[in-house]
Amino acid sequence: MDALANELKAKIVESLKLQDVNPDQIDDNAPLFGAGLDLDSIDALELVVMLEKHYGIVIKDIEEGRPAFQSVRALAEFVRARRPSQ
Amino acid sequence: MRESVAPNSPAVAIAGCGVTSAVGRGVASLRTAMRTNQSGLRACERFNGPLFQSNIVGAAPLAGVGGDLDDPAHQLATEALREAREQAHEVLAAIPETRVGLVLSTTKANIEALERLADGRPCSTAAQRHLQSNPLAADLAAANGASGPVQCVSVACVSGLVALQQGAKLIQRGVADAVLVVGVDHLSAFVVAGFTALKAIDTVGCRPFDRDRGGLSPGEAGAALVLARADLAPLSAIRLLGWGNSNDANHLTGPSRDGSGLALAIRRALDSAQLPPSGIDYVNAHGTGTPYNDAMESLALRAVFGEHCPPVSGAKGMLGHTLGAAGLIETILCVLALEDRWLPGTPRLVFPAEGAPASLLIEPRSAARLDRVLKLNTGFGGVNGALILGHE
Amino acid sequence: MNSLFITAASLVSEADVRAARLGSRFGRLDLASQLALLAVEKLAADFDGLGRERVGICLTAAAGSLSTDAAYWNGRAGVGGPSPTLFAYTLPSAAIGEIAIRHRLMGPNLCFVGHESDALSEAAHLILRGEAAACLAVFCHVVTPALAAMIQWSPAARAGALLLQRLDTGLHRWRENDRDIAAMCSLLSAR
Repeated sequence: MDALANELKAKIVESLKLQDVNPDQIDDNAPLFGAGLDLDSIDALELVVMLEKHYGIVIKDIEEGRPAFQSVRALAEFVRARRPSQ
Repeated sequence: MRESVAPNSPAVAIAGCGVTSAVGRGVASLRTAMRTNQSGLRACERFNGPLFQSNIVGAAPLAGVGGDLDDPAHQLATEALREAREQAHEVLAAIPETRVGLVLSTTKANIEALERLADGRPCSTAAQRHLQSNPLAADLAAANGASGPVQCVSVACVSGLVALQQGAKLIQRGVADAVLVVGVDHLSAFVVAGFTALKAIDTVGCRPFDRDRGGLSPGEAGAALVLARADLAPLSAIRLLGWGNSNDANHLTGPSRDGSGLALAIRRALDSAQLPPSGIDYVNAHGTGTPYNDAMESLALRAVFGEHCPPVSGAKGMLGHTLGAAGLIETILCVLALEDRWLPGTPRLVFPAEGAPASLLIEPRSAARLDRVLKLNTGFGGVNGALILGHE
Repeated sequence: MNSLFITAASLVSEADVRAARLGSRFGRLDLASQLALLAVEKLAADFDGLGRERVGICLTAAAGSLSTDAAYWNGRAGVGGPSPTLFAYTLPSAAIGEIAIRHRLMGPNLCFVGHESDALSEAAHLILRGEAAACLAVFCHVVTPALAAMIQWSPAARAGALLLQRLDTGLHRWRENDRDIAAMCSLLSAR
């Protein structure tokens, strides 16, 4: 669990080009949108691209991704559930 | 304290119009579409494939085979200018070329040339040249008798209205007596793939202000208006009565939630035209069909007009979202509405959304009085534009 | 009697962008928006006190948004498709959006493509017409190596900003034939 969450934090920082944000500083349970990292709707779309690129998860409709984007923990659970098995 | 705005003098009138769009070539085709509430959106094979959310677009009749159109931006602009100049022939004949300016409105110019260059496909010299707005504007000016000032406006989807304002300002500053204002954007993989990446396209075609709306439909058009000093134009010519702009200062691609930015632009336009809200007989909305835009616009209209919103409709179900051409072709629609005393409907609207203005028109109809029209556009970057035109 | 004065000026380069610390979201902007935003940031102390609704922005982009256009188009074949973020910046006026958002400026906006686009005089006319009390005249010129290879322009990455106001005094009194804002920025930011 920790490894995936840490990996996702790094991927968020990388794909959204966050400056001066140490992945370790991102709280597992903090909201990603609005408060916290102050992400917006374009970032949500960019994260959808990231999920397909790095985890092979295809999200057709942005509503599908909404529960996943609540927090890093929620995102990790989403990835574990949805990533195609090897 | 009310902002003080310079009087709009000398008055500026519209001496001629020209269009090519999804409903055909020429102003007559736009008029027919307006009378019959027609939609020009169609499935277009060029936009099949995984890069594109939908293939339903507003495609103009362009010379060329399949997707291999050469220099479509220049083609569309040239056709529109030809018709507009024909309509304004007598007015232009009396004005020296050095006193005729040109203002170009476009978001992407001839962007298909970038696709060719990047992909290593053949690209004509002209198409490549017109990838940039300035050479495109310069060539259009040279070919259309405009040796006066030339400007290229690019303010997202508000470009058309801003271009009209710039044309009027050139006349009011005395550096031109007539200005050819031309707007163009062509359908491209570049744009359709981009809106797809933003998941902003309605897969069944746009439905402005509809309860079930799901996004926009890309479109293309060339649209031109000849502006002239009102004393050089026929007495019956429709005039630009005032305008206003603002920025939401809120989010790059999503409008301000409460519509306050657009409401501010509308109030500035009303002040500039020295009109109260009750002086407006019809509003032509931006109405892209995205959930956010149409909700925001409804709020802005309510903020300005309260319960007394004039009849409102939107043309993007007819034409698609024509980006840099939108402000101009939709203004030409307003000109036709004023000339015919005909209130345009909202093609493809079926169930008005809750919160949409009560005066929203699905079907068109004739109007007992139609003297002043308010035209609205908004765009990426939080930009808002409002223009008032009509009989003096 | 009030005249129009340029009260502040700045000029920035790509090196300035690399050194800039404008918050965690600065990295998502395209280079043109970063340069323009940084150029305006340097004038913030001068316009911060002015009414938000009365400050206009007039921007000119010599190469339009072509550098970002090329980056967006060239990146489309990646798994997951083209970047929605990059597409949002394929408009020369995206920089205006960023400036307006950061400084909450709700005045009128103008955006032109081209060097000869009279952006400074258009900014002045906005004030003279009463549409704004002050105006930021901003220029930006970005040609990335990728774009330079495609359209045979020299690579470039710079921006500048001038603050124009109706006052009795300032850095430089604006004249009708003051057109080249790049030159003005260069001249005045050195003072």
